[in-house]
Formats: sequence, structure tokens, C-alpha cells
Amino acid sequence: MRSGRHRDGFIASWILRTEERNLLGWCLLGIGFGFLMIWSTMIQRGIPLGIGDLLVFGGYAVALISIHLIFVLGRFQGDQILVIAVNFLCGIGMLVQYRLGSFDTQGISRPLLLYPLSLICMALLTLMVRQGRYQLLMSGMWPWFWGLFSIMVLVLLLLFGQRFRGGVYAIGLMTPSEVLKFTCGLFTASLIARYAKTLGDWRLLKTHLFSPWLIGFIGIWCLLVLLLIMLSDVGLLLILGLSLVITLYVGTWHLGYVLIAVISSGALLTLILSLFPHAVRRIDSWLDPFRDPTGGSWQVLQGLSGLYSGGLWGEGFGLGAPHFTPIASSDFVYTVIGEELGFAGTLLLLAIYALLLNRILQIASRTTSDPGRLLVVALFSTLTTQVVLNVAGVTGLIPLTGLPLPFISLGGSSLIVTLGLMAFILAISEDNGARRHVTKKTKRLHKK
Amino acid sequence: MTSIGSFVGPLGANLWPLLTVSLQAGFLLVTVFIVKSLFTLSSAIPFRQSTRSKRSPQVAVWLLMIVFGGILIHQASWQLFGASRPKFIAFMQLHDRRLYNPAHRIQRGRILDHHGAVLAYSDERLGHVFRIYPMGEAFAHVVGYNHPWYGSTGMEAVATAPLNGGAPADLFEWGQRGRELLTGDKRPSGRDLTLTLDAGLQREAFRLLQHERGAVIAIEPTHGAIRALVSTPSFDPNRLEPALFAGRDTTTPFLNRATQGLYPPGSVYKIVLALLAIENGFVGSFESNSNGFTTSPRYRAIRDYEYYLAQNRGGTWAGHGRIDLATAFSRSSNVFFAQLGVSLGHESFYRINERLLINQQIPIAESPYGSWSMRTGSLPPLNPSDRYGLAQMSIGQGQVLVTPAYLALITAAIANGGLAVRPRLVENDTIEVLGPLTSPDHAMRLSHLLRRVVTEGTARGIARDHLPIAGKTGTAENAGGAAHSWFVGFAPAHRPRLVIAVLIEHGGAGSRVAAPLALRLFEHAAAHGLLE
Repeated sequence: MRSGRHRDGFIASWILRTEERNLLGWCLLGIGFGFLMIWSTMIQRGIPLGIGDLLVFGGYAVALISIHLIFVLGRFQGDQILVIAVNFLCGIGMLVQYRLGSFDTQGISRPLLLYPLSLICMALLTLMVRQGRYQLLMSGMWPWFWGLFSIMVLVLLLLFGQRFRGGVYAIGLMTPSEVLKFTCGLFTASLIARYAKTLGDWRLLKTHLFSPWLIGFIGIWCLLVLLLIMLSDVGLLLILGLSLVITLYVGTWHLGYVLIAVISSGALLTLILSLFPHAVRRIDSWLDPFRDPTGGSWQVLQGLSGLYSGGLWGEGFGLGAPHFTPIASSDFVYTVIGEELGFAGTLLLLAIYALLLNRILQIASRTTSDPGRLLVVALFSTLTTQVVLNVAGVTGLIPLTGLPLPFISLGGSSLIVTLGLMAFILAISEDNGARRHVTKKTKRLHKK
Repeated sequence: MTSIGSFVGPLGANLWPLLTVSLQAGFLLVTVFIVKSLFTLSSAIPFRQSTRSKRSPQVAVWLLMIVFGGILIHQASWQLFGASRPKFIAFMQLHDRRLYNPAHRIQRGRILDHHGAVLAYSDERLGHVFRIYPMGEAFAHVVGYNHPWYGSTGMEAVATAPLNGGAPADLFEWGQRGRELLTGDKRPSGRDLTLTLDAGLQREAFRLLQHERGAVIAIEPTHGAIRALVSTPSFDPNRLEPALFAGRDTTTPFLNRATQGLYPPGSVYKIVLALLAIENGFVGSFESNSNGFTTSPRYRAIRDYEYYLAQNRGGTWAGHGRIDLATAFSRSSNVFFAQLGVSLGHESFYRINERLLINQQIPIAESPYGSWSMRTGSLPPLNPSDRYGLAQMSIGQGQVLVTPAYLALITAAIANGGLAVRPRLVENDTIEVLGPLTSPDHAMRLSHLLRRVVTEGTARGIARDHLPIAGKTGTAENAGGAAHSWFVGFAPAHRPRLVIAVLIEHGGAGSRVAAPLALRLFEHAAAHGLLE
């Protein structure tokens, strides 16, 4: 029977993913328009177009086609909206980075391949962890491994990292701590899912006060916070902390955790402000950006100047002067989009982020397995926090936290980790109730 | 691949913008389509309530929408309505090197006098907008300046947001802003600002005063419109230099002497004492002879001006004899007023000063982006047993200090039947009553006293049949040198249309310096219909 349905399976899958195919085509068209805009401004300025320039767009096209084929051939039945949104956001990321000259177009280089390869890897990873296989990474002793792994990464970074702009980086300004967004999510979500009943009931929790899992959980988290403060990575601390609180709340529906979080974050904030002078400076320049316009507020004001220059429609993609904004390609990439595509462009960008995040929430609400649901929630809060803190920071609504904008900011480690998260959410999206593919291995685990 | 450039080259320079716009439109339209499709697809598959809880993830979605909406609104307040943030515009004009930034080309609104004469306008040269002040020094303190390096002062500072087009007031202006945004106008225009000033009177006052240090303020008493506001020495707002700001110039050209400069009022202050006497129903008289008056033999006697005049000439002066309030006021007898003040007492002296708004800041132009207030004066508390101090203050010496604008303000109230109107600089500002300073009857009686000063008193030098002026001269002793010369008055005396206060630092006798200057201004005002 299985072999008889093989052909039907392929056709069914091909038909099932029609929407994805159509809209990926539209993505290709939209991003194509973007590349045409940049190329036309290059010609206008007399910059010769090379084969490498065409390759950037070619890579994007190849990635889109490959992803679709991988999912169709793999009979993947997971969400299509996520795939479209992620691919379009990555397309915008490629456009902006290409426009800012982040890619070396003289021949085939690593940054040039980064986006297409990471996208294809996301699709492959999705197939690897689908059908409940992701739950393997959340069962048994695995959560403890993820927790200890996170600590190890931070310790190594603390020992061998180099200080730059108030933060600690590995060689070549890589940020291996990005991987914590993933490992901490796995660690937290699986343990909360496992002990949800105890955590949700104060009286029951009291009897477990000295059980090793609770001590371990709290201990690892305290160590993480301590290490992150030592690394002065306030941004990551915020992301992980918020993700912990939201996952705890969704796992237990206990408002007490939110209350505890508010109190402890207040205490943590005063500690951070007393420890880091650069955090105080950022808050000062947020409160009154014009007190020190050429010093502490220079970045934000240059970004805002770019936005003001862009106006409603933008200067035209490729026609702005985003190089006047410091670190335009990473933290301030949003203001570059605002400058060149205008308020209208940023509105659409935020709409796509909103649809993506909305979709992730929908997936969480439809996931019946607790570990899966909580993992989606943890990854959702990670993504949301990054988007909100970055965009609100560069527009001056909140102090700058120095977080990258997911999918768009320059940074290989950030992109790879974010797409890795998306692979897990995609895999979980396939796994909702009606179509559960439980393998023998996970069946055994469930019996346990 | 370089051939692409030469291949597309013949497209022509004017077609490039069209291509850019259509490509961008294409990009945005495709993005809109993708957003719309994703939205339709998401709503096709509804949320499902979690089996174990009644909590809907919809709440989280709403929260997210609120956060994103808040960010976009905040972003719009910079990106689309940045003109309402004057410091932001100034920052961009100074520090932003994007040549296409509209901040460099804002057609800032003009500043006009009440007849529409241009006091400030913007002119674009080589891609940068410069602010030009055609009447230069004469208006420097009122109009102020707006300069990317030196910031802004005066009305340029107070009204900077509406001048930049950042504070649309009506539907028409909102429409204009909207059009500018939609069309991506790189030359946004601001709103003109009309002041109450009369350019002719202001220039005449500046011309008369420019070689002195002093101030002139002219106020329309019933509506509070400031017709002239001059302070000298002045500076040229078209030519600001770092040296100006170094503070080495001891003549303090940036100080607006009319609204901020505190001076001993001298005899002009007798207006306040006379009002106090009238209100208290004083009908008596005091002896005013050449021996002067003092509260104790330990203190130097307060004497009349005529005594010193006679002494300087080597002669003697017999004294006024026993005189009443009207005579003492018109002759400006120090001896009389010192006795009057001491006999009326501390309490009533401080009470009337408080009612007459001493020790206050009164805004003459205000906006959410800044305000400009005139100081009234400074009257520190006095020990009730210090009768000599009170006697000194009663003749406008000692510790009492006032601004020229303050004297104009209370004289305007007297000319207006006792009702003080807030002085204002912006034509469209609402007329605001500061309160009755005294009753119409008392104001009328004081007006008669002021008229007598010109008809038969110290200011009879400026008596003209065709131009009935009422006013008071003042010659204020000060530690810095020759006496300050004062005159404050209104005309026509029976139907006041204009109040003028003149101060000339170290100018000498008020009757010989300040009063004639005021006369010339009244004559100018009359010739130009300001007294109609």
C-alpha cells in the first residue's frame, strides 16, 4: 500500500503546497524588483555590474526553488505561511545587505552563500527533526545537556573572547552566544513541560523545594544570568529572561511567575545600571537625545535623520546615504529600510513580522504535545523580543539594547540560529493532532 | 559586463527617475500583495483553544499589534512629523550630511510686522537655506535669530515649530502637510508668523537710541499689542560670530534691556505712590523745603532735584513750601513722596506692589516649544522698622528695581481704566486680561496727574498742542555713573492709544533726554496713524 501511494503522495504534496509555490514566486518577483532598483542606481552612478551581482539574486532564486522542492519531495505537511514569510524577510535581508555592500561580489565568497545555504539548511533541518523527532532532544537527560552546554559556551567566551564596543566576541567578531537562543529554549521548554504540574501548584512546589531538578534548573539559570552580566550582554539577558518568563507562564498559567519576574527584573535592572556605565549612558541618551547629540546620541539621531530624510515613500532603494548612520548594516538596518523605502516600507516590513509572529502563535495554539507547544512559545518570545527591542530601540522609543533584527541584520551566527529556530517551529507545525507521525522511538518514550 | 552601462546609457537622464519610481512602486505593490495573501491564508485557519486552558492566544496577538502600532506611531512622529521637533530639525541642519534631507531645505515661514513688512525670511542658496533679517539690528532682540550653530532666540525660538511647519493649526495646513508627505516634497514650507510690532515705529526708536544704551517699549493699552520693543546696543543677526558669544563685550548686546533689564526707577516710581495715595483718599499736604526729609539724623536727608541744581550753580533754593499731591507729582518732589511713603506705611506699600504684579514673570509670547516672559521688577522684603529704606523706595531708589516693560505695563493699565492687559507680540494671540490693578475712578484721577506733569510739570518741554501726552519723567541715581533717564507716558491723554516707556542708561535728567525721545516717537506714531 505504501509503495502504491508513492506517486499519489508526491502529487498530493505538490498540490498541498500550491500556495507556498505561488507566493514564493511572488517573493522572487518582489525581491527581483528590489535588485533591479539597486542595479539601476549602480548603472546610474557608473558602477559596473559584474557576474557576482547577478549571482546574489541567483542564489536567492536557487534557495527558494530548493526549499520548495525539498518540502514537496519530503512530503512535508507543515506550515506554508511561515516558509513564505521567512523567505521574504530573508530576501529583504539579502537586498539590504547587498545594497550596503556587505557581500563581496568579486567571485563566490562566504557571505554571498550565507543566505541561500542557511535557507536550504533550514529546510533540511526541518525534515530531520520533523515527525516528533525534535522531542528526542527534549527528553531524558538532554535538557540538562542543553543547559550545561549554554553555560560552557559562555564560560569559553568569557575566557577566550575579545572585548569590543562594550561586549565580548569570539574571534572575527563572531557571536557564539547566539546559539543560546536555541539551547536555552530547549533547556527551559522541556523542563517546564516535564514539571508543569508541580510548577503550576505552589503547595506541590513546596514539597519539591529540594528536589534535584528544581535546584538544577534554578542553579543553571542563576549561573547563566551571572555569566551574561559578566559578559555585559544585556540584550541576550533580556531575550532569554523574557523567554523564560513567558514559557513559565504559558506552561503553568500561573500569574505568580510574571509577578516574580517583574520584581526580579527591577532588582536586576538596578544591578546592571550600577555595574555598567554604558547602560546608564544609553538610558541618558534615550531620555534626552539632544543633551549630547554628537556623543552618546549620535547613532540614534543619525538613524532618525535617515528616517526623516526618507519620509513616507523613501529616497528610493539604493539612492539613500545610509553610510552616514553608524553600524547601519547590523543594529540600524531598520533605519536604512526606512530611509530608502520610507515609512511605507517599514510599515510593510513590520506587517510581515506581525504575520509571521501571529502564525507562530497559531501554531503554538494548535500543538497538542506540551514540549512542542512550549518550545514554540519559547522560540516565539525570543524572536518577538528581538524584533521589538531592535525596532523600538532605533526609533528611540526605548533605550538601545544592541540586538540584531532577525533575518535582516548582518551577522552569520544570528541568521543561522534564527533559521534553526524556524526549522524547529516548522517541524512542530506539522505535528498538530490530526496528523501525528509518531515513530517507534518516540512511542517508546511516551510509554515511559 | 561593463557593456550593460553603455547599453542602458542612452535611456536618457530624465528617464532614470521614472524607472526608479516604477521599480519601487512594483516592489511595494508586490509586498502589499504578499502581506495581503499571508493575511488571508492565516485567517483561513483559525486559532484553536488549547485543550487544557481557556486562555486564547488572541490576547497575545492583540498585545503584539498594540506594541507594533505604538512603535509605528512613535516612528511617524520622527519620520513624518519631525518638523514638530525643533531640536531634531536643528540637529539635522547642523550634523546631517545627507544632501537630500528636507531639513536642509525647509522653507521656514517669514516673520512679519502687523502691516506685513518682512522682518525675517529664508532663502535657498546652493542647496542650503539661510535665514535673512532685512532690518537687522533694529529687530534683533524681538525677532531673534535661528542659526544652526548658535541655536535660536527671540520669536524665532518661541515659534520655531510653526515656522518650520511642525504645528499645523487648521485643516488647510494639515492638508498641505499631507500633500508634502504624499508627494515626498523636499522643500517643506512653514507657516508665516505675524507680530504686533510696527516696523516703522521700531526702526525710528532704534534710530534714536542706537548710540546709547537703553530700551524703548511701546504698548497699545487696550489690547496689549506691543508696537515697538527696542534694546540697545544691539547685534546683527545676519552676522553672528563666535566673538559675539565669548561674553567679552561689557555692553551686553544680547541682553534685552526692555524686558529683562532691571533698573532703579527713580521718580517714575512715584506713579505707584500716587496711586496708593489716591486709593487711600489722601488729601493732605507735606512741607517740602530745602532741608529735605530724613527719618533719623543719622541718615542723609532726601532732597529735591532743584536743591542740587541750585547748589551746583552756587545758589540756594527756597523749597516748594507746603504742597499737595498734584503739585508734588508734577514737580516730582522727592521730599514730599518720601514723607508720603513713610506715612502710608510698609504694609500698604507692599500690598499695592503685590497687586501691581511686582516680582513676577509675565509671558509675552508662549508656545509648547518655548516661551518668552518679561520680568516685572524686583522688590525684596524690607524690615518693617526700616523707615528710611521705605522712604528711599518711595522715590524709586534703594532696593526697588524694575524693567522698562513693567513701567509700560502699569502705565498702560492706568490708561486703560485700571485694567492690565497682557502684553503680547503675536498678532493672533488671544487678548488676555491680567486683572484690574485699580478702579476706573482711581485710574482716571492718576491719568489727570500724569497729564499735569506734561502741561505744567517736569515734562512741560514736550507739551504740544496738537499732541496731548500724559506721562512721568524719572532721573534715577545709580552706582554706575550718571543717572538713568526715564520717561513713561501715553497719548492722546484723553483717549490713550499708545503707551511708551523710554530708558536711557546714564542718560541724565529724564526731562531733558528720555522725554524728548518719547515725544519724537509719539509724533512718529501720530504721523503713521498709530494714535487713531
